[in-house]
Amino acid sequence: MLEATGLMVFYENMLALNNISIRCGVNQIIGVFGANSAGKSTLMYTLSGIMQDIQKKEAMAGGERITLMGEVRYMGEDISGLKPSQRARKGIVLCPERRRIFNESSVLENLKIGGYLASSSEARNTLEYVFKIFPPLARLKKRIGGFLSGGEQQMLAIGRALMAQPKILLLDEPLMGLSPLMQAELILATKGICEEMKLSVIITEQYARPVLPIVDYAYILENGSAVMEGSKQELMDNPDVRSAYFGIEESYE
Amino acid sequence: MDILIYGTINSVTLALYAIGFAMVYGVSRLPNFAHGALYVVSGFITWSFLNSLGLNYLLSIILALIATAIIGALIYQFVLIRVRGMEISEIIASYAIGLAILEGFRWGGFKGLTYTLPAFIEGSVEIAGVSVDYQRLLVVGIGAAVVGLLWLFTRYTRIGLAMRGMAQDERAALMLGIDSDLIAVVAMGFGSMLAGLAAVLLLPLGNIVVEAGYNILILAIAVCIVGGLGSWMGAVLAAFLIGFAQILTVVYLGAHYQMVVALLAIILTLILRPSGLFGQQKELEERV
Ligand SMILES: Nc1ncnc2c1ncn2[C@@H]1O[C@H](COP(=O)(O)OP(=O)(O)O)[C@@H](O)[C@H]1O
Ligand SMILES: [Mg+2]
Repeated sequence: MLEATGLMVFYENMLALNNISIRCGVNQIIGVFGANSAGKSTLMYTLSGIMQDIQKKEAMAGGERITLMGEVRYMGEDISGLKPSQRARKGIVLCPERRRIFNESSVLENLKIGGYLASSSEARNTLEYVFKIFPPLARLKKRIGGFLSGGEQQMLAIGRALMAQPKILLLDEPLMGLSPLMQAELILATKGICEEMKLSVIITEQYARPVLPIVDYAYILENGSAVMEGSKQELMDNPDVRSAYFGIEESYE
Repeated sequence: MDILIYGTINSVTLALYAIGFAMVYGVSRLPNFAHGALYVVSGFITWSFLNSLGLNYLLSIILALIATAIIGALIYQFVLIRVRGMEISEIIASYAIGLAILEGFRWGGFKGLTYTLPAFIEGSVEIAGVSVDYQRLLVVGIGAAVVGLLWLFTRYTRIGLAMRGMAQDERAALMLGIDSDLIAVVAMGFGSMLAGLAAVLLLPLGNIVVEAGYNILILAIAVCIVGGLGSWMGAVLAAFLIGFAQILTVVYLGAHYQMVVALLAIILTLILRPSGLFGQQKELEERV
């Protein structure tokens, strides 16, 4: 469904992604794990086209020189040259690190803005669905985004991304800063969404432990390079992975 | 009572001057220094349709508003888009365009007292002992309607919501499929049309003069700075603050000091509360 080959990203001379190739099949959940600064967000930005937008703006402002290489194919089509809005229209929707909720808008308005690409019936149905899987959002409909707790914000960020009618949902560190209980809840919800809405998910995290149970396949990034990949079982059985990426929650963040 | 009535009229006038500027800045972070020129452009286009082509007044106004919106969108699409995100360049480029337009009119001989627009409805009415002409009543009525419609537009339409999203976090909006280039053009078209609307409502109260372009730009900036750049509701409230302050100054100090109020408001706001009365100082996003 989504297939990226030979992705390289340089910030000036710093190599942030080194020849990364990943693929995500229909209805699959793919994990991407790596420590802070491993290049997870850079990868998500590159897949969603945000990186191209950043590159364009930096070039225009005479800022950082960003170099991108490699190819992203979606349903067999090369989309490397498409703008983020065009990729979103095709169904590649990023739910970014740190959520980026619209802080001055209410919960409902955040979701409505998310429904920019949806037809009015799609928006109505998805809104209902989001309130069903995340009941706190229904309760807090009128609450201003900036006043939500971290967990509520994350639900809102995912809900808002769903409103855009994704076929592939990119979740960048959705568990950041959440309690273990909230983390477990969100992971369960993610699995449910993937099944019920028939979509694929690529999810990044620093620690694999909370996420690994739901992934079909995963990649491990270190300093921009993929040091390992494999199915859930293969990774679980690997002693190196066990020691490095099954970190203890307390040390998280 | 005069103060209340004239204060309201003056405040709505200021709000009309500023609302287009505030909207463009709010959505695209683009300080459109050609705003005042677009105001004058709209006045002259209406005048030309009315007098040179002999069209009906309402039709002239509608066509002029559409033309102004298109001119604004073209200015964005062909010039400002190239300097997008660099505020100093945006200011220089848009100000240069504004200068070119305004001085072009002056050079072309568009000056003097011949260029006037008729009032929509002649005559006046007495309100609580104060005589108010119908045109000024219309300004207040339409001004209030514009604010109301704009509020509804940004809350209940797809494009309006996209503008609100983009105003708050452009990158997040991009992820949701909102095409920021498109929305920025639309916002610029809208903002220009609002400048044009202010012109056709207010120019019948005086002459169409090139200088108006400069005055309106200063007033719009004053209102937006006091209200908090980027917050157009803040701009509306600030318009009332400055509007009444101006009228009080006129009554107690003389008309000579009216412009000083706006300039003083800019300076005081920048010294005391740079983010404006209602603007939120955006937190610097930490990078982890
Ligand atoms: N805009 C940028 N300019 C320069 N370096 C950057 C930029 N964004 C990220 N980096 C660097 O690229 C590397 C990868 O960052 P990132 O993709 O954010 O990692 P992760 O999401 O895994 O924490 C880091 O070393 C980070 O400092
Ligand atoms: Mg990251």
